[in-house]
Amino acid sequence: MITLFRSLFAPPRHLILLVAALWIGLALAEKRSERQGVSKEALNNLIYYSLFGYILGGRLLYALSNFSIFVQSPRSLFSLNLDLFDPLAALAVAFLVGLVYGSRQKLAFWHTLDALTPFFAILAIGLSLSHLAAGTAFGSPTNLPWGIEMWNAARHPAQLYELLAALLIFGWIWFRKADSPPGAAFLTFTALTAAARLFLEAFRGDSILVFGGLRLAQILAWIALAAALFASESLRRVAKAN
Amino acid sequence: MQQPQRRIVYLIALLAGFAWIFASADRSGVSTSGKIPAPQQGFLAPDFELETTTGESVKLSDLRGQAVLVNLWATWCPPCRAEMQSIEKVYREYKDEGFTILAVNMTRQDDALAVMPFVQEQGLTFPILLDESGEVANAYQLQSLPSSYFIRRDGVINEVVIGGPMSEALLRTRIEDILK
Repeated sequence: MITLFRSLFAPPRHLILLVAALWIGLALAEKRSERQGVSKEALNNLIYYSLFGYILGGRLLYALSNFSIFVQSPRSLFSLNLDLFDPLAALAVAFLVGLVYGSRQKLAFWHTLDALTPFFAILAIGLSLSHLAAGTAFGSPTNLPWGIEMWNAARHPAQLYELLAALLIFGWIWFRKADSPPGAAFLTFTALTAAARLFLEAFRGDSILVFGGLRLAQILAWIALAAALFASESLRRVAKAN
Repeated sequence: MQQPQRRIVYLIALLAGFAWIFASADRSGVSTSGKIPAPQQGFLAPDFELETTTGESVKLSDLRGQAVLVNLWATWCPPCRAEMQSIEKVYREYKDEGFTILAVNMTRQDDALAVMPFVQEQGLTFPILLDESGEVANAYQLQSLPSSYFIRRDGVINEVVIGGPMSEALLRTRIEDILK
Protein backbone atom coordinates (compact mmCIF):
# COMPACT_ATOMS: atom_id res chain seq x y z
CA MET A 1 0.00 0.00 0.00
CA ILE A 2 2.77 2.44 1.03
CA THR A 3 4.88 1.28 -1.94
CA LEU A 4 1.97 1.87 -4.33
CA PHE A 5 1.33 5.32 -2.82
CA ARG A 6 5.02 6.21 -3.09
CA SER A 7 5.26 5.11 -6.71
CA LEU A 8 2.05 6.98 -7.61
CA PHE A 9 3.27 10.22 -6.05
CA ALA A 10 7.02 9.85 -6.57
CA PRO A 11 8.82 13.19 -6.95
CA PRO A 12 8.08 15.52 -8.62
CA ARG A 13 4.43 14.31 -8.46
CA HIS A 14 4.47 14.59 -4.64
CA LEU A 15 3.80 18.31 -5.10
CA ILE A 16 0.27 17.42 -6.28
CA LEU A 17 -0.46 16.43 -2.68
CA LEU A 18 0.56 19.88 -1.43
CA VAL A 19 -1.55 21.63 -4.08
CA ALA A 20 -4.54 19.43 -3.18
CA ALA A 21 -4.04 20.23 0.52
CA LEU A 22 -3.88 23.93 -0.30
CA TRP A 23 -7.16 23.73 -2.19
CA ILE A 24 -9.00 21.64 0.44
CA GLY A 25 -7.60 23.77 3.27
CA LEU A 26 -8.79 26.96 1.61
CA ALA A 27 -12.28 25.48 1.05
CA LEU A 28 -12.56 24.42 4.72
CA ALA A 29 -11.20 27.74 6.01
CA GLU A 30 -13.78 29.57 3.89
CA LYS A 31 -16.52 27.37 5.33
CA ARG A 32 -15.61 28.37 8.87
CA SER A 33 -14.59 31.98 8.21
CA GLU A 34 -18.01 33.51 8.89
CA ARG A 35 -18.01 31.93 12.34
CA GLN A 36 -14.90 34.04 13.12
CA GLY A 37 -16.42 37.21 11.67
CA VAL A 38 -14.01 37.22 8.71
CA SER A 39 -15.51 37.45 5.22
CA LYS A 40 -14.78 34.67 2.73
CA GLU A 41 -13.53 37.19 0.22
CA ALA A 42 -11.06 38.76 2.65
CA LEU A 43 -9.77 35.32 3.66
CA ASN A 44 -9.39 34.27 0.03
CA ASN A 45 -7.52 37.45 -0.86
CA LEU A 46 -5.29 37.13 2.20
CA ILE A 47 -4.29 33.58 1.22
CA TYR A 48 -3.80 34.38 -2.47
CA TYR A 49 -1.71 37.50 -1.81
CA SER A 50 0.38 35.61 0.73
CA LEU A 51 0.87 32.73 -1.72
CA PHE A 52 1.93 35.18 -4.39
CA GLY A 53 4.39 36.72 -1.91
CA TYR A 54 5.61 33.23 -1.00
CA ILE A 55 6.36 32.26 -4.60
CA LEU A 56 7.80 35.59 -5.72
CA GLY A 57 9.70 36.28 -2.48
CA GLY A 58 11.18 32.78 -2.35
CA ARG A 59 12.58 33.04 -5.87
CA LEU A 60 13.73 36.68 -5.72
CA LEU A 61 15.49 36.35 -2.36
CA TYR A 62 17.13 33.12 -3.51
CA ALA A 63 18.39 34.94 -6.61
CA LEU A 64 19.64 37.83 -4.47
CA SER A 65 21.54 35.51 -2.15
CA ASN A 66 23.14 33.86 -5.23
CA PHE A 67 23.52 37.12 -7.14
CA SER A 68 26.83 36.32 -8.87
CA ILE A 69 25.39 33.07 -10.26
CA PHE A 70 22.16 34.62 -11.53
CA VAL A 71 24.10 37.44 -13.21
CA GLN A 72 25.78 34.80 -15.38
CA SER A 73 22.41 33.35 -16.47
CA PRO A 74 19.64 35.90 -15.77
CA ARG A 75 17.06 33.78 -17.63
CA SER A 76 17.30 31.30 -14.74
CA LEU A 77 15.23 33.78 -12.73
CA PHE A 78 12.23 32.56 -14.73
CA SER A 79 13.25 28.90 -14.65
CA LEU A 80 10.61 26.35 -13.72
CA ASN A 81 13.11 24.62 -11.38
CA LEU A 82 11.42 24.61 -7.99
CA ASP A 83 14.78 24.11 -6.29
CA LEU A 84 15.83 27.69 -7.08
CA PHE A 85 13.92 28.80 -4.02
CA ASP A 86 14.51 29.91 -0.44
CA PRO A 87 11.61 28.45 1.60
CA LEU A 88 12.38 30.33 4.83
CA ALA A 89 12.64 33.69 3.07
CA ALA A 90 9.44 32.79 1.19
CA LEU A 91 7.61 32.16 4.47
CA ALA A 92 8.83 35.49 5.87
CA VAL A 93 7.64 37.36 2.76
CA ALA A 94 4.26 35.54 2.81
CA PHE A 95 3.82 36.48 6.49
CA LEU A 96 4.69 40.13 5.80
CA VAL A 97 2.34 40.30 2.81
CA GLY A 98 -0.45 38.77 4.91
CA LEU A 99 0.24 41.22 7.73
CA VAL A 100 0.16 44.25 5.41
CA TYR A 101 -3.03 43.05 3.67
CA GLY A 102 -4.68 42.27 7.01
CA SER A 103 -3.87 45.66 8.51
CA ARG A 104 -4.99 47.54 5.36
CA GLN A 105 -8.29 45.63 5.40
CA LYS A 106 -8.51 46.09 9.21
CA LEU A 107 -8.90 42.35 9.78
CA ALA A 108 -8.97 41.38 13.48
CA PHE A 109 -5.62 39.61 14.12
CA TRP A 110 -6.71 36.67 16.31
CA HIS A 111 -10.04 36.13 14.52
CA THR A 112 -8.22 35.94 11.19
CA LEU A 113 -5.66 33.46 12.53
CA ASP A 114 -8.53 31.35 13.92
CA ALA A 115 -10.23 31.43 10.52
CA LEU A 116 -6.97 30.32 8.87
CA THR A 117 -6.40 27.45 11.32
CA PRO A 118 -8.21 24.73 9.27
CA PHE A 119 -6.09 25.82 6.30
CA PHE A 120 -2.88 25.32 8.30
CA ALA A 121 -4.12 22.00 9.71
CA ILE A 122 -4.89 20.59 6.25
CA LEU A 123 -1.53 21.85 4.96
CA ALA A 124 0.16 19.86 7.74
CA ILE A 125 -1.66 16.72 6.53
CA GLY A 126 -0.61 17.42 2.92
CA LEU A 127 2.97 18.01 4.03
CA SER A 128 3.18 14.67 5.83
CA LEU A 129 1.75 12.87 2.77
CA SER A 130 4.25 14.58 0.49
CA HIS A 131 7.05 13.60 2.88
CA LEU A 132 5.90 9.99 2.67
CA ALA A 133 5.73 10.10 -1.13
CA ALA A 134 9.16 11.71 -1.50
CA GLY A 135 10.80 9.65 1.24
CA THR A 136 11.93 12.80 3.03
CA ALA A 137 11.55 13.37 6.80
CA PHE A 138 12.29 9.65 7.15
CA GLY A 139 12.57 7.70 10.39
CA SER A 140 15.57 6.27 12.21
CA PRO A 141 16.37 2.55 11.87
CA THR A 142 14.24 0.24 14.05
CA ASN A 143 13.56 -3.44 14.73
CA LEU A 144 9.93 -2.79 15.68
CA PRO A 145 7.37 -4.87 13.74
CA TRP A 146 5.73 -1.79 12.22
CA GLY A 147 9.01 -0.49 10.74
CA ILE A 148 8.90 0.23 7.00
CA GLU A 149 11.60 -0.41 4.42
CA MET A 150 12.99 2.92 3.28
CA TRP A 151 16.43 3.97 2.06
CA ASN A 152 17.86 0.48 2.49
CA ALA A 153 16.87 -0.03 6.15
CA ALA A 154 13.81 -0.90 8.24
CA ARG A 155 12.83 2.47 9.71
CA HIS A 156 10.28 4.08 11.97
CA PRO A 157 7.39 5.17 9.72
CA ALA A 158 8.06 8.77 10.82
CA GLN A 159 5.92 10.20 8.01
CA LEU A 160 2.96 8.06 9.11
CA TYR A 161 3.43 9.19 12.72
CA GLU A 162 3.43 12.77 11.39
CA LEU A 163 0.28 12.07 9.32
CA LEU A 164 -1.56 10.51 12.27
CA ALA A 165 -0.68 13.48 14.49
CA ALA A 166 -1.78 15.95 11.80
CA LEU A 167 -5.10 14.11 11.33
CA LEU A 168 -5.79 14.06 15.09
CA ILE A 169 -4.92 17.75 15.42
CA PHE A 170 -7.19 18.61 12.49
CA GLY A 171 -10.03 16.59 14.10
CA TRP A 172 -9.50 18.40 17.42
CA ILE A 173 -9.54 21.82 15.71
CA TRP A 174 -12.50 21.09 13.45
CA PHE A 175 -14.82 19.57 16.05
CA ARG A 176 -14.02 21.86 19.00
CA LYS A 177 -16.58 24.17 20.57
CA ALA A 178 -17.14 27.48 18.76
CA ASP A 179 -17.47 29.63 21.89
CA SER A 180 -13.78 29.81 22.83
CA PRO A 181 -12.05 33.21 23.06
CA PRO A 182 -10.38 34.77 19.98
CA GLY A 183 -7.02 33.16 19.19
CA ALA A 184 -7.84 29.93 21.03
CA ALA A 185 -8.21 27.81 17.88
CA PHE A 186 -4.93 29.01 16.38
CA LEU A 187 -2.98 28.76 19.64
CA THR A 188 -4.37 25.28 20.34
CA PHE A 189 -3.29 24.22 16.85
CA THR A 190 0.17 25.73 17.40
CA ALA A 191 0.61 24.11 20.81
CA LEU A 192 -0.56 20.67 19.60
CA THR A 193 1.58 20.82 16.46
CA ALA A 194 4.63 21.88 18.46
CA ALA A 195 4.01 19.15 21.05
CA ALA A 196 3.65 16.53 18.30
CA ARG A 197 6.89 17.66 16.67
CA LEU A 198 8.67 17.70 20.02
CA PHE A 199 7.65 14.09 20.63
CA LEU A 200 7.90 12.65 17.10
CA GLU A 201 11.21 14.25 16.13
CA ALA A 202 12.87 11.65 18.37
CA PHE A 203 12.00 8.97 15.77
CA ARG A 204 13.40 10.88 12.80
CA GLY A 205 16.53 9.75 11.00
CA ASP A 206 17.41 13.10 9.46
CA SER A 207 17.40 15.49 12.42
CA ILE A 208 19.76 18.43 12.46
CA LEU A 209 21.86 17.90 15.60
CA VAL A 210 23.23 20.67 17.78
CA PHE A 211 25.08 20.88 21.11
CA GLY A 212 26.41 17.31 20.96
CA GLY A 213 23.30 15.46 19.83
CA LEU A 214 20.25 17.57 20.73
CA ARG A 215 17.74 17.81 17.90
CA LEU A 216 17.29 21.39 16.68
CA ALA A 217 13.65 20.84 15.67
CA GLN A 218 12.79 19.72 19.22
CA ILE A 219 14.33 22.84 20.74
CA LEU A 220 12.40 25.08 18.32
CA ALA A 221 9.19 23.09 18.94
CA TRP A 222 9.61 23.47 22.72
CA ILE A 223 9.99 27.26 22.31
CA ALA A 224 6.87 27.35 20.07
CA LEU A 225 4.95 25.27 22.63
CA ALA A 226 5.95 27.55 25.49
CA ALA A 227 5.05 30.66 23.47
CA ALA A 228 1.64 29.22 22.47
CA LEU A 229 0.79 28.26 26.07
CA PHE A 230 1.92 31.64 27.39
CA ALA A 231 -0.07 33.53 24.71
CA SER A 232 -3.09 31.35 25.39
CA GLU A 233 -3.00 32.21 29.11
CA SER A 234 -2.56 35.92 28.36
CA LEU A 235 -5.55 35.93 25.98
CA ARG A 236 -7.72 34.15 28.56
CA ARG A 237 -6.74 36.76 31.16
CA VAL A 238 -7.63 39.60 28.77
CA ALA A 239 -10.95 37.93 27.82
CA LYS A 240 -11.80 37.46 31.51
CA ALA A 241 -10.93 41.08 32.32
CA ASN A 242 -13.24 42.26 29.49
CA MET B 1 -10.37 23.41 33.66
CA GLN B 2 -9.71 26.11 36.28
CA GLN B 3 -6.81 28.50 35.86
CA PRO B 4 -4.49 27.05 38.59
CA GLN B 5 -4.99 23.48 37.34
CA ARG B 6 -4.43 24.57 33.76
CA ARG B 7 -1.18 26.28 34.66
CA ILE B 8 0.06 23.16 36.43
CA VAL B 9 -0.77 21.07 33.33
CA TYR B 10 1.10 23.57 31.11
CA LEU B 11 4.10 23.52 33.44
CA ILE B 12 4.18 19.70 33.52
CA ALA B 13 3.91 19.60 29.71
CA LEU B 14 6.85 22.00 29.34
CA LEU B 15 9.00 20.17 31.89
CA ALA B 16 8.21 16.80 30.28
CA GLY B 17 9.04 18.27 26.85
CA PHE B 18 12.33 19.63 28.15
CA ALA B 19 13.25 16.24 29.64
CA TRP B 20 12.26 14.49 26.38
CA ILE B 21 14.69 16.68 24.40
CA PHE B 22 17.57 15.33 26.49
CA ALA B 23 16.20 11.77 26.76
CA SER B 24 15.88 11.48 22.98
CA ALA B 25 19.15 13.22 22.12
CA ASP B 26 21.09 11.41 19.45
CA ARG B 27 24.62 11.03 20.75
CA SER B 28 25.50 8.11 18.47
CA GLY B 29 24.92 10.16 15.33
CA VAL B 30 22.46 7.65 13.81
CA SER B 31 20.33 10.43 12.45
CA THR B 32 23.15 11.42 10.11
CA SER B 33 22.87 8.49 7.77
CA GLY B 34 26.05 9.09 5.75
CA LYS B 35 27.36 5.59 6.26
CA ILE B 36 24.48 3.70 4.61
CA PRO B 37 24.37 3.73 0.79
CA ALA B 38 20.99 5.02 -0.45
CA PRO B 39 19.89 7.42 -3.20
CA GLN B 40 18.82 10.16 -0.81
CA GLN B 41 20.28 13.38 0.57
CA GLY B 42 22.61 12.72 3.50
CA PHE B 43 23.39 9.12 2.52
CA LEU B 44 26.46 7.61 0.89
CA ALA B 45 25.91 7.49 -2.89
CA PRO B 46 25.37 3.85 -4.00
CA ASP B 47 28.49 2.67 -5.79
CA PHE B 48 28.51 1.35 -9.37
CA GLU B 49 30.95 0.45 -12.10
CA LEU B 50 29.97 0.88 -15.74
CA GLU B 51 31.57 1.21 -19.16
CA THR B 52 31.59 4.47 -21.05
CA THR B 53 30.65 4.84 -24.71
CA THR B 54 34.38 4.62 -25.48
CA GLY B 55 34.78 1.32 -23.61
CA GLU B 56 36.54 2.61 -20.48
CA SER B 57 35.43 1.35 -17.08
CA VAL B 58 34.43 3.98 -14.50
CA LYS B 59 33.73 3.26 -10.82
CA LEU B 60 31.99 5.94 -8.77
CA SER B 61 33.94 5.20 -5.56
CA ASP B 62 37.23 5.71 -7.45
CA LEU B 63 36.21 9.36 -7.82
CA ARG B 64 36.21 9.94 -4.03
CA GLY B 65 37.86 13.31 -3.41
CA GLN B 66 36.09 14.88 -6.38
CA ALA B 67 32.67 16.50 -6.45
CA VAL B 68 30.45 14.44 -8.77
CA LEU B 69 27.15 14.96 -10.55
CA VAL B 70 25.48 11.65 -11.44
CA ASN B 71 22.84 12.38 -14.06
CA LEU B 72 20.47 9.57 -15.10
CA TRP B 73 19.05 10.17 -18.58
CA ALA B 74 17.70 8.70 -21.79
CA THR B 75 17.63 9.95 -25.38
CA TRP B 76 13.82 9.69 -25.60
CA CYS B 77 13.34 11.95 -22.55
CA PRO B 78 12.81 15.60 -23.69
CA PRO B 79 13.89 17.32 -20.40
CA CYS B 80 17.04 15.11 -20.35
CA ARG B 81 17.92 16.30 -23.84
CA ALA B 82 17.06 19.90 -22.99
CA GLU B 83 19.44 20.10 -20.00
CA MET B 84 22.49 18.57 -21.70
CA GLN B 85 23.82 21.85 -23.09
CA SER B 86 23.68 23.50 -19.65
CA ILE B 87 25.40 20.46 -18.11
CA GLU B 88 28.15 20.60 -20.75
CA LYS B 89 28.63 24.32 -20.12
CA VAL B 90 29.07 23.96 -16.35
CA TYR B 91 31.27 20.88 -16.82
CA ARG B 92 33.71 22.95 -18.85
CA GLU B 93 33.57 25.74 -16.23
CA TYR B 94 34.17 23.62 -13.15
CA LYS B 95 36.13 20.52 -14.26
CA ASP B 96 39.47 22.04 -13.31
CA GLU B 97 38.24 22.64 -9.75
CA GLY B 98 37.77 18.93 -9.03
CA PHE B 99 34.29 18.46 -10.46
CA THR B 100 33.17 15.70 -12.76
CA ILE B 101 29.97 14.42 -14.31
CA LEU B 102 28.85 10.85 -14.85
CA ALA B 103 25.94 10.92 -17.27
CA VAL B 104 24.45 7.45 -16.97
CA ASN B 105 22.31 6.51 -19.94
CA MET B 106 19.43 4.20 -19.00
CA THR B 107 20.40 1.93 -21.88
CA ARG B 108 18.06 -0.87 -20.82
CA GLN B 109 15.09 1.39 -21.49
CA ASP B 110 16.69 3.35 -24.33
CA ASP B 111 17.83 2.73 -27.88
CA ALA B 112 21.56 1.99 -27.53
CA LEU B 113 22.16 2.98 -31.16
CA ALA B 114 20.72 6.46 -30.53
CA VAL B 115 23.18 7.32 -27.75
CA MET B 116 26.38 8.03 -29.71
CA PRO B 117 24.71 10.17 -32.45
CA PHE B 118 23.03 12.23 -29.68
CA VAL B 119 26.33 12.70 -27.80
CA GLN B 120 28.11 13.78 -31.00
CA GLU B 121 25.28 16.06 -32.08
CA GLN B 122 25.34 17.80 -28.68
CA GLY B 123 29.17 17.88 -28.51
CA LEU B 124 29.23 16.38 -25.01
CA THR B 125 32.71 15.96 -23.54
CA PHE B 126 31.94 14.46 -20.12
CA PRO B 127 31.84 10.67 -19.57
CA ILE B 128 28.67 8.96 -20.83
CA LEU B 129 28.09 5.64 -19.08
CA LEU B 130 25.84 2.85 -20.33
CA ASP B 131 23.59 1.13 -17.80
CA GLU B 132 22.75 -1.89 -19.93
CA SER B 133 21.68 -4.19 -17.10
CA GLY B 134 19.63 -1.60 -15.15
CA GLU B 135 22.06 -1.88 -12.21
CA VAL B 136 22.20 1.86 -11.57
CA ALA B 137 18.46 2.34 -12.18
CA ASN B 138 17.84 -0.24 -9.43
CA ALA B 139 20.46 1.07 -7.01
CA TYR B 140 19.17 4.62 -7.38
CA GLN B 141 15.51 3.47 -7.17
CA LEU B 142 14.80 5.41 -10.36
CA GLN B 143 11.25 6.79 -10.59
CA SER B 144 11.55 9.71 -13.01
CA LEU B 145 13.93 10.94 -15.70
CA PRO B 146 16.08 12.93 -15.54
CA SER B 147 17.31 12.34 -11.98
CA SER B 148 20.43 14.11 -10.76
CA TYR B 149 22.54 13.41 -7.68
CA PHE B 150 25.02 16.02 -6.48
CA ILE B 151 27.70 14.14 -4.56
CA ARG B 152 30.23 15.74 -2.21
CA ARG B 153 33.94 14.93 -2.20
CA ASP B 154 33.37 12.47 0.70
CA GLY B 155 30.90 10.44 -1.38
CA VAL B 156 27.77 11.62 0.43
CA ILE B 157 24.78 12.85 -1.59
CA ASN B 158 24.31 16.56 -0.98
CA GLU B 159 21.16 17.01 -3.02
CA VAL B 160 18.84 15.10 -5.32
CA VAL B 161 17.05 16.89 -8.16
CA ILE B 162 14.25 14.90 -9.73
CA GLY B 163 12.94 16.14 -13.07
CA GLY B 164 14.27 18.80 -15.38
CA PRO B 165 15.53 20.49 -17.35
CA MET B 166 17.92 21.95 -14.77
CA SER B 167 18.79 25.57 -15.38
CA GLU B 168 22.36 26.84 -15.36
CA ALA B 169 21.77 28.70 -12.10
CA LEU B 170 20.53 25.53 -10.42
CA LEU B 171 23.55 23.59 -11.65
CA ARG B 172 26.00 26.30 -10.56
CA THR B 173 24.54 26.74 -7.06
CA ARG B 174 24.56 22.98 -6.44
CA ILE B 175 28.03 22.45 -7.90
CA GLU B 176 29.49 25.27 -5.80
CA ASP B 177 27.92 23.64 -2.73
CA ILE B 178 29.54 20.25 -3.38
CA LEU B 179 32.89 21.78 -4.24
CA LYS B 180 33.14 23.47 -0.81
